[in-house]
Amino acid sequence: MSLMRSELHFSNVSFCSVCQVPVAEGKSVQHTVDVLHKKLEQMGSVKQGSFCVDCETYHATNVSGQPSKLLYVMHNSETPRSCMALYEGGPCIVADANFDVLMVKLKSHFQNAKGHKVECRGSRYRYCDFLIKVGTVTMSSSARGISVEVEYCPCVVPGDCWNLMKEFMQSFLGPSVPELPSVFATKPEGLFAQAEIVDTMTQYLELFNKLRKSQIPGSNVR
Amino acid sequence: MSGVPAVRISIESSCEKQVQEVALDGTETYVPPLSMSQNLSKLAQRIDFSQGSDSEEDGIESEPRDREWVKQEPEEEDGTVKFQPSLWPWDSVRNNLRSALTEMCVLYDVLSVVKEKKYMALDPVSQDPSAGKTSQVFQLISKKKSLATAAQVLLKGAEKLTKSVAENQENRRQRDFNSELLRLRSQWKLRKVGDKILGDLSYRSAGSLFLHHGTFEVIKNTDIDLDKKLPEDYCPLDVQIPSDLEGSAYIKVSIQKQAPDIGDLGTVNLFRRSPKPKTGTQPWHVKLEAAQNVLLCKEIFAQLSREAVQIKSQIPHIVVKNQIISQPFPGLQLSISLCHSTGEKKNQRASPDKTKPDDHLYVLEHNLHQMMREFHKQQLSSIVMPHPASAPFGHKRLRLAGPLAYDKAEISSLQQSEGLLEKIIKQAKHIFLRSRTARTIDSLASRIEDPQIQAHWSNINDVYESSLKVLITSQGYEQNCKSIQLQMNIGVEQIRVVHRDGRVIILSHQEQELQDFFLSQMSQHQVHAVQQLAKVMGWHVLSFSNHVGLGPVESIGNASAVTVASPNGEYAISVRNGPESGCKVLVQFPRSQTKELPKSDVIQDAKWSHLRGPYKEVHWSKMEGRNFVYKMELLMAALTPCP
Repeated sequence: MSLMRSELHFSNVSFCSVCQVPVAEGKSVQHTVDVLHKKLEQMGSVKQGSFCVDCETYHATNVSGQPSKLLYVMHNSETPRSCMALYEGGPCIVADANFDVLMVKLKSHFQNAKGHKVECRGSRYRYCDFLIKVGTVTMSSSARGISVEVEYCPCVVPGDCWNLMKEFMQSFLGPSVPELPSVFATKPEGLFAQAEIVDTMTQYLELFNKLRKSQIPGSNVR
Repeated sequence: MSGVPAVRISIESSCEKQVQEVALDGTETYVPPLSMSQNLSKLAQRIDFSQGSDSEEDGIESEPRDREWVKQEPEEEDGTVKFQPSLWPWDSVRNNLRSALTEMCVLYDVLSVVKEKKYMALDPVSQDPSAGKTSQVFQLISKKKSLATAAQVLLKGAEKLTKSVAENQENRRQRDFNSELLRLRSQWKLRKVGDKILGDLSYRSAGSLFLHHGTFEVIKNTDIDLDKKLPEDYCPLDVQIPSDLEGSAYIKVSIQKQAPDIGDLGTVNLFRRSPKPKTGTQPWHVKLEAAQNVLLCKEIFAQLSREAVQIKSQIPHIVVKNQIISQPFPGLQLSISLCHSTGEKKNQRASPDKTKPDDHLYVLEHNLHQMMREFHKQQLSSIVMPHPASAPFGHKRLRLAGPLAYDKAEISSLQQSEGLLEKIIKQAKHIFLRSRTARTIDSLASRIEDPQIQAHWSNINDVYESSLKVLITSQGYEQNCKSIQLQMNIGVEQIRVVHRDGRVIILSHQEQELQDFFLSQMSQHQVHAVQQLAKVMGWHVLSFSNHVGLGPVESIGNASAVTVASPNGEYAISVRNGPESGCKVLVQFPRSQTKELPKSDVIQDAKWSHLRGPYKEVHWSKMEGRNFVYKMELLMAALTPCP
């Protein structure tokens, strides 16, 4: 696995913000997604294919009596050749797609938690420089919630465009606009460090964890 | 002794010792000499006192001694000799021997006396010349003999030397072959298969995917006649290249206006070049390089024809035999042909070539080679080492796409690659567009003297883009009337013209479009020039329009017009200039100067005489002056009243 991030230029991943959109009262997930799509199309956004983010969970098996940590292996269709591995509360790596094969070999150290697979699928919309991805988060074939990712392509520094993005998100999400993602807020470099793909994936991971812990909204299961 | 009776026995008197025996080969065995006392006793023994009386009869002093001696022998041997005292068969021999003995004894005595040196002394006597002669003969013989041996030794040595020289020569030839092989090895890939040495002249190691094996065989060329003089370019090493790579080849790229007869297709055969071998290079090197060039040309052509068949274009590319025909622009055809000549054909083809103009585009040929090599390099760099064991094979950038989290757009930009044919067609389009733009400007510049058009070409071009600056000026007024400056970017499909004021005009590949554009610009220039001249002359611009909506409709662009008034406002000049209709200059006179104006009932008052009068057209062609602006200057000067 070539993990030589320092060897070449950093891929300029533009600033992304991922947030959860609450499902409207008494409506299904799909309905809420449709409403969002309609809103976006009314704004003049153009649909540009689809996207998919998935996450698999692995338990680290350690002999000592410490509580086992979790390793999340994620894929994003925006970076089709990459595989992101995030260690709970620890480091994260960006590797190529062979990482999945490696995980199989590391079976004795990391055990795949079956049934913990989370997927987020949906359509991509482009509105000028903004890329909007509205996705349905699915856990073991049940829809758990809706995610909206907004990417402002020209900018890689969150601090420079957060306000613009906030304003843009307000235009179709209404008042339920989230705060600045905690990934950027907690960075040691502050808000003006370059955004990386890992930041986006961390946001998705947080969203997935949040949805996993939340109660299954029985009426919305599809 | 008795068997050889004729032998003369010579007794050397000088010998001190008694001879006991003389062998057949003449070697003498000596009796060890007796001492003085022994001798005396011996002699005393021999004296036969009884015979002393007998000897008186003989009268010879020596006789009794002999008898004594002879008698003594029978005494010693007893009965055997006893019976033949006087009937000695070897009597003469005995007598001779006795006399010899006597002499010997005398000599012995003399020598003894001499030895004593009391009574006698010996003096050297001069040598006998005859003895010297014999030694000279002997010397001669011995010298002759030794000379003969020496000659023999020398001859043997010479023989050996000639042999070794011949061997050496053979060796050197062998060594030459080896050194040549070493040089060959330093420049070409070689391997040994069985007892053959095979080489590889293909570009496979450089990243080529061409299927031709490109193998050549190294031949030892040492079996030549040693006596004959070696030819100038003799080389002990020769190479045998595949027959289909022999001769010379090149890719001919040309752009033709009209489509050729379909019968002519695929028969392009121009052999304009003959490889000039550089002096100082080995013949095998020249041969191999030529073969490699043929191989590369074949590869390029194979790649191009494969692409030509695969790529879907509006007008399909035609591949016929050794020619690929494509239509970059309507009515225009790009022909890429592989010209391969194998030596003997050259003479036949030489004559018809000269009639045809050489429209070969060397730049494109060169670019084809370059692009092929780039392609090779790309192939090679995709498997560049070191390579992570777990990573998939492929281009490095592509391999890093995963760890560096490239997004879709970046990956697709890495993957997209244009084919050789597409690139060369684009380049051909650009070259054609550029050359035609140059030709159009040149023809306009030579056709139209006023205004002048100048083109400044940029030296540095891209393969797909070049730029130039076009200035339209009037002779003598270059500084005053800088109205039209055009920056032109010639691309692949179109020409982008940037005006001085920032307007951007995009022209297509049509020649007429470009020409019309320049004509309209030139016509506008004249009006601009009048406007600028008016400023210099102190005239006032009353109106100015680049695109006049009145008057006859121009087929090219629009007419432009300007009206300027003299400093005191009495006169006005109105100019209308159209690209097609040419210029029309009118002068307005003050009302006061015109006589033939009909008296009107309405305008009776004197103040109305300040109204402007009627226009009159100037016969422009009859005006003096070398160009439009100069004529205009003269006209303005004429209409300006003297202060």
